[in-house]
Amino acid sequence: MKNAWILLPVLVPAVTGAALAAASFREHLAGGNTGPGDQKGFVPENTRGLHALVGTVLALSALVAVGGAWLWGGSLTLFPLVDGIPLYFQIDDVGRLFVTVVSLVWLAAAVYAFSYMEKEGDQKRFFGFYLLVYAILVGQEFAGNLLTMYLFYELMTLASVPLVLHSGTREAVMAALKYLFYSLCGAYLGLFGIYTLSRFCDTLAFQPGGSLNPVLAQGNRGLLLAAMFATVLGFGAKAGMLPLHGWLPTAHPQAPSPASAVLSGVIVKSGVLAILRAVYYVAGPDLIRGSWVQEAWMILALATVFMGSLLAFREPVLKKRLAYSTVSQVSYILFGLALLAPTAMEGALLHVVFHAVVKCALFLSAGVLLSKWGITRVEELAGLGKKQPLLVWSYTLASLALIGIPPASGFVSKWYLAQGALESQTGVFRYLGPAVLLVSAFLTAGYLLPVTVKAFFPGESRIPERFGERVDMRMLAPLAVLALLAVLMGLFPGPVLELTGRIAALAAGR
Amino acid sequence: MAFVQNFPFISIVLSLFSGPLSSVLGGKKAKWVNLAVITLIGAMSAAVLAFVLGTGEPYVYRMGHFPAPWGNEIRVGVLEAGMALFFCVVMLLCMLGGERERALELPEGKQNLYYVMVNLLLCSLLALIYTNDLFTAYVFVEINTISACGLIMIRQNGRTIEAATRYMIMSLLGSGLLLLGICFLYDLTGHLLMSNIKEQVGLLYAAGAYRVPLLVALGLMSVGLAIKSALFPFHAWLPDAYGYSTLSSAAILSSLVSKGYIFLLVKIFFRVVGFEVVRESGVLNILFVFGLAGMIMGSVSAIQEKNVRRMVAYSSVAQIGYIYMGFGLGSLSGVVASVFHVLTHAATKSLLFISASGLTDSSGDSKQIADLTGAGFRNRLAGLAFTVGSLSMVGIPAFSGFVSKLLFAQAAVEGSFVKMLPALLVLAVSTVLNALYFMKTVITLYTPARGERFSGRGFCRIGLWEQPAKTWAMLCLIVLNLILGLTSEPIIELIRDGLAMFE
Amino acid sequence: MKPGIMLIVVLLPILGGGLLPLLPFRSRRQLTVYTECVVLLNSLLTVAMLLYRPGEAFVLFRYTGNLSLSFRLDGLGSVFTAILALLWPLATLYAFEYMEGERHERIFFMFYTITFGVTLGIALAEDIVTMYCFYEMLTLVTLPLIMHTLTREAVLASRTYLYYALGGAAFAFMGMIFILTYGTTPNFVPGGVLDPARVGEKGDLLLLAYVMCFLGFSVKAAMWPFSAWLPKAGVAPTPVTALLHAVAVVKAGAFTLMRVTYYSFGTGFLRGTWAQTLLFVPVIFTIVYGCSRALKETHIKRRMAWSTVSNLSYILFGVVLMTPLGLVGALSHMIFHAVMKICSFFCAGAVIHQTGREYIYQLDGFGRKMPKVFLCFTVSALALMGVPGLCGFVSKWNLAKAAFEQGSPLALGGAAALLVSALLTAIYMLTIVIRAFFPGRDFDYGTLKGIRDPGWRMLLPLTLFVVAMFIFGLFSGPVVEALEAIAAPMP
Repeated sequence: MKNAWILLPVLVPAVTGAALAAASFREHLAGGNTGPGDQKGFVPENTRGLHALVGTVLALSALVAVGGAWLWGGSLTLFPLVDGIPLYFQIDDVGRLFVTVVSLVWLAAAVYAFSYMEKEGDQKRFFGFYLLVYAILVGQEFAGNLLTMYLFYELMTLASVPLVLHSGTREAVMAALKYLFYSLCGAYLGLFGIYTLSRFCDTLAFQPGGSLNPVLAQGNRGLLLAAMFATVLGFGAKAGMLPLHGWLPTAHPQAPSPASAVLSGVIVKSGVLAILRAVYYVAGPDLIRGSWVQEAWMILALATVFMGSLLAFREPVLKKRLAYSTVSQVSYILFGLALLAPTAMEGALLHVVFHAVVKCALFLSAGVLLSKWGITRVEELAGLGKKQPLLVWSYTLASLALIGIPPASGFVSKWYLAQGALESQTGVFRYLGPAVLLVSAFLTAGYLLPVTVKAFFPGESRIPERFGERVDMRMLAPLAVLALLAVLMGLFPGPVLELTGRIAALAAGR
Repeated sequence: MAFVQNFPFISIVLSLFSGPLSSVLGGKKAKWVNLAVITLIGAMSAAVLAFVLGTGEPYVYRMGHFPAPWGNEIRVGVLEAGMALFFCVVMLLCMLGGERERALELPEGKQNLYYVMVNLLLCSLLALIYTNDLFTAYVFVEINTISACGLIMIRQNGRTIEAATRYMIMSLLGSGLLLLGICFLYDLTGHLLMSNIKEQVGLLYAAGAYRVPLLVALGLMSVGLAIKSALFPFHAWLPDAYGYSTLSSAAILSSLVSKGYIFLLVKIFFRVVGFEVVRESGVLNILFVFGLAGMIMGSVSAIQEKNVRRMVAYSSVAQIGYIYMGFGLGSLSGVVASVFHVLTHAATKSLLFISASGLTDSSGDSKQIADLTGAGFRNRLAGLAFTVGSLSMVGIPAFSGFVSKLLFAQAAVEGSFVKMLPALLVLAVSTVLNALYFMKTVITLYTPARGERFSGRGFCRIGLWEQPAKTWAMLCLIVLNLILGLTSEPIIELIRDGLAMFE
Repeated sequence: MKPGIMLIVVLLPILGGGLLPLLPFRSRRQLTVYTECVVLLNSLLTVAMLLYRPGEAFVLFRYTGNLSLSFRLDGLGSVFTAILALLWPLATLYAFEYMEGERHERIFFMFYTITFGVTLGIALAEDIVTMYCFYEMLTLVTLPLIMHTLTREAVLASRTYLYYALGGAAFAFMGMIFILTYGTTPNFVPGGVLDPARVGEKGDLLLLAYVMCFLGFSVKAAMWPFSAWLPKAGVAPTPVTALLHAVAVVKAGAFTLMRVTYYSFGTGFLRGTWAQTLLFVPVIFTIVYGCSRALKETHIKRRMAWSTVSNLSYILFGVVLMTPLGLVGALSHMIFHAVMKICSFFCAGAVIHQTGREYIYQLDGFGRKMPKVFLCFTVSALALMGVPGLCGFVSKWNLAKAAFEQGSPLALGGAAALLVSALLTAIYMLTIVIRAFFPGRDFDYGTLKGIRDPGWRMLLPLTLFVVAMFIFGLFSGPVVEALEAIAAPMP
C-alpha cells in the first residue's frame, strides 16, 4: 500500500487512546464492586508514566501528521465502505492547513492538561479520549471523500462526548446529551445532503470546484438546493450556527478547561471543514451562488455573529461568555464561506487558524482561573493582573487578536472578510455583512476587555492574597506561546496567506 | 336395472319404517336400531355414489313404474348420492357425540320417541335429496319440520318449548310460502315433476309469457326456504332452539336440517326453474344482500354472546349468510362454493357443538364462556376439537373453512364488479369478526383458571376415554374437517359434476 | 441436491418440536441438548441447502386446480432462509439460559422449534398459496409463545396479536384471490405474474386489491395503524421478543410484502400508480411514529419493540419504492436489522434475566456491573443509529440511494424520515447507554450489589452479533452485490 503512513497518525493515537480508556474502565470495574467513593484518581507514580506516554504518542503522531502532510502528501484507498465508495484519504492544502492547526492546538492543550487534570481525576479516561479525538480529527482532515469525512465526523461526535461529561455531574451528563443530540441532528441533516450529492455528483471524492454532474442535476435544482441548505444547517450545528447552536454554550463550559479549549478552538472547526468540503469540493460553489440558500446561509451566519456577541456581552460567567464568543466567531468563518468568493474564503480560512489559536488561549486562561482560584465570574478576578502579569497579558493579547485590533491576527482575517463582502455580488449583504462584523467587533471588545480592565485596575477592592500563588509553568507556557502566536501571525501573515490564497483561488475561483 | 339403483328408495323406506319400529322398542334398543339404520343407509348411499360415479350419468327411478305425471320419481346423480352419504356420516357422529347428554337430559320413558323423530328426520332429509317431485318435496319438508320440533322439544324446559313454538311458527310460515310458490308453478306449468316443470318454464320464458307470476313463484319459494334455513333476518328462533335443546338435536339441527332446505333450494334453482332464469329474475340479488347482512350480523350477535352454545348458534347465522351470499353471486362457481360450504359448515358446526359440550362437562355444566377458562387443560381433546373447529370457521389453511373461503372469494372475483367488492369486503370483515369471538374463546380455554370460582364441583379433568362415544365423534369430525380441508379437489370436482348432472 | 431437502428442513423442526413434550427427558440438560441438536441440525441442513441449491420445485400436494403446496428456493427466499438458519441456533442457546427456572419449558421449546420450521416454510414457499398457509400457521404457533407466562397481561396481549394477525390475513387473502384470478400462475416470478390480457380495464380494481393485500400483510410487519400488537407482545419471554418479534415473525411480514409487490403484482404494474402514493404515507409515517413512541416508552423491551416498528417500516419503505434498488435496500435492512435488533433485545433480556429490572430508569450505573452486555448494547445502539462503519449505515445508505434514484417527492420525504428517525433512535438508545455508563458522580453503586454479566450461553450470541455488525458494516460489498443479483431480474 502506497502512502500507508497516512494511517499512522490515525491509528496510533486511536489505539493508544482506546487502550487507555479501556484501562480506566477496567479500574472502575475493579473499584466499582467494592462500593461508592472509590472513583480514585491515579497513584502519582503512574501519572508521570501516563503523561510521558500521552505526550510521546501525541508528539510523534503530530510530527508524522504535519510532517507527512507537508512533505509527502499523496492519497490512500482502503476497502469500499458502502456502495463501492471506498474509505479514501487524500491530502490537499485544506487538509494541511487544518491538520497543522489542530496538531498545534492539541499539543498546547495537552501540555496544559498534564497539569490541569491532576485535580480532576480519572486522567486515563480523559487522555484516552483526548487521543482518540485527535486521531479522529486527523482522519477527518485527511479524508479524501465526503463519506470518509462523514465517518470521522460522526465518530468525532461520539468520541468527544466523554470529554464533555468528564466531571460526571448530573449537569455535565445532561450537557453531554444535549451536545450529542444537537450534533447528531446536524449530522443527519448533513447526511441527507450527502445522499443527494452522491446521486447527482460524479464522485464524492473532493475536487476543487466540485463534481456536480450537470446532466443529472438538470431539473433537480430545487432538491439540490434544499439538500445543500440541509447540509449547511446540519454541519453548521457543530459550528454553532443558528438555529442549532443551543448546545454550545451549555456543553463547552461543562467540560474540563483543556477540553473546552480544544472543543471551542478546534472541534467546532470540523463543522466548518465539513461545510467547506461539501460546498466547495463536492457540490461546487456555483450550485448555490445567487440562490436562496446562499442568502439564507448569510442571514443565519450574520444573525449568529450578532446574537453570539450580544449574549456573550450579557453573560457574567467567564467560560460561558467565551462559549458564546465561539458561537459568534465561528459564524464569521461561515459568513466568509457563504459569500462564495475567493477573498472572503481566504478570510474565512485565516479566521479558522486565528480563532483556533486565540480561543484555545482564552479558554486555557479561563481554566487557570477556575482551577487555581475557583474564579468563574468576571467580577471575582479584580487585581489579578498585579500578581499574575504573564497570565493576564496572555489573555489580553489573545483578546486583542480576537477583537481584531491591528496588528494582531484577528485584524487580518476580518479585513479579508470585510473586503470579500464588499467585493462580492450579494446585494444588500455587501454592506450589511461588514456592518455586522464591525458591530460584533465592538461587542467583542466589550465582553473581553473588561476582564483585563478588572484585572489590572481593581479599583477599591482588596486583592486576595491567594492570587500570589505560583501557577504551574505547564499551564502558563502553552498559554503564553499561543498568545504570542496570535500576535505574531498578525504581524507576519505571509506564509498562512500564501496557503489560504492558493486554496481559495482553486476552490472559489470562477 | 342394477340392484344398487334401488338403494335410494330402499333407504327412504327403511328410515321411514324404522321410526314406527322404534316407538315400540325400549330406549336402548331403539338407539341401536337407529345407529344401525343410519350406518346401513350410509353404506347404501356410498354404493349408490360409486355406481353413479361409475356410469357418469344420473338415473331416474320410477316408483311402481308409473310414468309421469302419475307416478312419483326419484332422481339420483352424483351430488345427491354424495350428499346422502355425507348427511348419514354427520348424523351418525352427532348421535354418537350426544349419547351421554340424551341419557341424562331426556325423560326415561321418552328415549325411544327421540329415535322415532331422528329416523323420520333422516327419512325426510333423504327424500328432499332424492325426490324429483316438487310436491313430494313439500310433504317431506313438513315431516322435517315436525320431527325437528320434536327434537327441540323433547328436552323439556321452558326455553325449549318457547323455542320450539317459535321454530314451528317460522317454519310453517316458510312452508306456507313454499307451498304457495309450488301452487303458482303448478298453475303455470301444469306439472309437479321437476324435469317437466323445467321444460315448461323454459318454453314460457322463451315466449316471454307470465314473467311476473314466474318471478312471484320463484320469490315465494326462495324466501320460504330462506326462512326455514334461518337466513338473516329470519333467524330469531335459532339461538334458543340450538342453544337449549339436547346436544344431538342442536348438532343435527344446525348441521343437517337447514342444509336439507338449502339443498332443496339448489334443486329448485337448477332442476325446477333453471339457473339462467333464476339469475335473470333478480331474486338472487335479494338473497345476496341478506346473505351479506347475515354474515355480519350473525357474527356481531355472536360476539356479544356470553353463552358458548348460543355463540356457536349465532355463528350458524353467519355461516348460512355465507351460503346465501354464494348463491347471490349468481355464478356456477358461487353455487359450488355454497354447496361446499354446506359440507364445511355441517362438519364444523357439529364438531363445535360436541366439543363445546365436552368443555362444559368439565366446567360444572356451566355454559358461560367465562366459566370455560382453562377448560382446554381440563378436557384436552375437547379443547383441541374446539380449536380445530374455530380455526376452520376462521378460515385457517389446512381446515375445511379455508377452502370454502377460497372458493367464495374466487367466485366473487370472477363475478361482476358490483357484487365483487361488497362480497370481498364482507368476507374479510366477517373473517375478522369470526376470529374475534372464536379465537377469544379459544384463548379463554387455554388461560389457566385461578380463583374461587373454578374450585367448585364439576370443575374436573375429563380423560380421553371417559366418554368414548364423544371422543370417537370428535376424532372423526376432526378428521372429516381435515379431509375437507386438505383433499378438497375431488370433492369440488364431485360437486361440479353433480351440478352439471342437474341440467 | 434433491428438492426434497426443502420439505425436510421445514418438517424437521415441526416434528422435532412436536415430539418434544412426548419424549421422556430425565433432566433439563437432556431437553436442552435435544432441542439444540434439532435446531442445529436443521440449520446445518439449511445451510447445506443454500450451498447446493435444489433447482427444482418440490410439490407437497395439490389443493384444487393450480393451487398447490410447493417449495422452491430462490434468491429472495435464500436471504430470509439464511437469516433464520444463522440466528435460530444462537437464539435457542440464549433461550436455555434465559428460560432457566421458568415454568412449562417443554411447551415453550416445542413451539419455539416449530416456529423455525413454519418460518422456513414462508421463506421457501414457491407460490402465494403456500406462503399464505404458512403465514397463517405462523400466527397460530407463535400465539402460545406470547401467552407463555399466562398472566392476564399476556393473555390480553396474545388476544390482541391474534385479532390483528388474523384480521390482516383476511385482507391479504383478498389480494391472493386476485393474483389467483388475474395472474398467469400463482408462483412467484420476478416482475410479477399479472396477465395483461385478463387485467384489461380493471387496473384500478387490482390496485385496490394490492392495497388491501399490502395493508393485510403489513400487520405482521407492524406498520401503523396496525402496530399496537407488537409492543404489547413484549410480555413474552425475551427469546421470543428478540427472535420472533424482531426477526422471524415481523420479517416474515416484510418478506411477504416483498413477495406480493415484486413477485406477484409486479412493480411494472404498480410503479407510479395511486396505490404506490397511497402506501408511501403510512410507511413513512410509521418510520417516525415508531421512533417517537419508543422515545416515550420507559419499559426497556417495549422501547425496543417500538424501535422495531420503526425499523420494519424502513424495510417497507424499500418495498414501496418498487425499484430494484429499493428491493436491495429493503433486503439489506432486513438482514442488518435482524442482527442489530436481536442483539439489543438480548442485552435487554440479559438485564431482565439477571436483575428483574425492566424499566430504563432502573438501569443507572449498569455499565460497570454488566460491562460486556452494555458494550454490546452500545454497539447495537450505534449500529441502529446508522453510524458509518457499522451495518445500519449500509442499509440506510442503500435505502436512501434507492429513494433518490426513484426521485418522487414522497420518496425523498421518506429519505428525510429515515434521518429524522435516525436522530430519534440516537436519542432513545443513547440515553440508555449514557445512563448505564455515566450515572452521575454521586451514584451509589452499593444499590447494584451482586449484579454481574450473564453466562457464556448469553454472551456468545451477543459477541457474535457484535462481530457481525462490524463485518457487515465495513465489508458490505459482497452482501450488497448478492442482493443486487437478486434484484437484477426485476424490471
